[in-house]
Amino acid sequence: MIAPVFGLICGVVIGVVSGVVIPYGYADYVAIAILACLDSVLGGIYAISQKQFDLKIFATGFFCNGILAVGLVWLGNQLNITLSIAAVVVYGSRIFNNFSQIRRFLLNKPKKQIIVVTEKGE
Amino acid sequence: MRKNHYIYALTLICMFLGMIIGVQYNTVKKQNSLTENQRLTELTATLKKVQEENEALQAHLKEKEETIENYETGLNYGAAMESLQKEIEQLRIFAGVTEVQGAGILVTMNDSSTKNGGDSNAYLVHAEDILSVINELNVGGAEAISINGQRIVGESSVSCAGSIVMVNGERIAAPFEFKAIGDGDILQSALKFPGGVVDNLAPWGIEIIIHKEANVVIPPYTQTSLWKTSGLVQGGGEK
Repeated sequence: MIAPVFGLICGVVIGVVSGVVIPYGYADYVAIAILACLDSVLGGIYAISQKQFDLKIFATGFFCNGILAVGLVWLGNQLNITLSIAAVVVYGSRIFNNFSQIRRFLLNKPKKQIIVVTEKGE
Repeated sequence: MRKNHYIYALTLICMFLGMIIGVQYNTVKKQNSLTENQRLTELTATLKKVQEENEALQAHLKEKEETIENYETGLNYGAAMESLQKEIEQLRIFAGVTEVQGAGILVTMNDSSTKNGGDSNAYLVHAEDILSVINELNVGGAEAISINGQRIVGESSVSCAGSIVMVNGERIAAPFEFKAIGDGDILQSALKFPGGVVDNLAPWGIEIIIHKEANVVIPPYTQTSLWKTSGLVQGGGEK
């Protein structure tokens, strides 16, 4: 579990150091894409914890969710509706859900091990 | 073995996510600093202007006191006449009845050449837009302003008259050419202020071209004012 965190930190450092700046008009889209991708990553971690991880689903979900979110915001801009709110609300709540599931998984994990140890001790 | 496979993919994707976050961080930071810088230069310019104004006023006060002294003593008749002449000249410039020249800016405003649907009126330059440009130029400390040869003075009016605009009672049409005398940098930043006139009109494709000029000649105000109604307040008024 350390490798992905390390990768994330590496990515942030590369992104900041590279000094690349997104054109002003696209900043909104990228913000939404980040939210969607964050949701996908947390969803992936949750799937790993449930032993249901499928690389294809994860990889396609990561990119498709990002593209869909950006597309939604673009459509909203064309129709003069702030559809970005919908994306923020949905992805935001999903991030919280995924995180709480992961948290529960991490909290329950050591308990089982303790039980195993005590059983052995007996 | 399979678990390592997951971790590998997750790491790669996390790295990608991190990179977007980093780039977005750069963007947001740059945008903020851009606005702050712009405000900073404007505030610095304002401070400098106020200080200069203060100094000028101090000198002016001293001069006036000397003039009053001259009047009172009546000793120096020639000097008194000279200062009166100078004052008349100053008042003429202030009233806008003389041609003036100096460093300043040239602003050309034209109707939008694109029409992307919606209200077609939004793509035209309106009297309100002209008024807001004049206002921003005055905020920037413009000493004299004219539009298509019409001098803007205290009693100037800008009104809508169908497809054209009336300034000082004369009909003028696009392209509108503003001339203003003043500090070019301050005038330019007053117009380009984030959320200002240029920012508001740019989405509609209205063309605003701003040029700094070393010498701008601004014509006098030609309409005659009759001043029928107002009179001086007895005992009050000036000083």
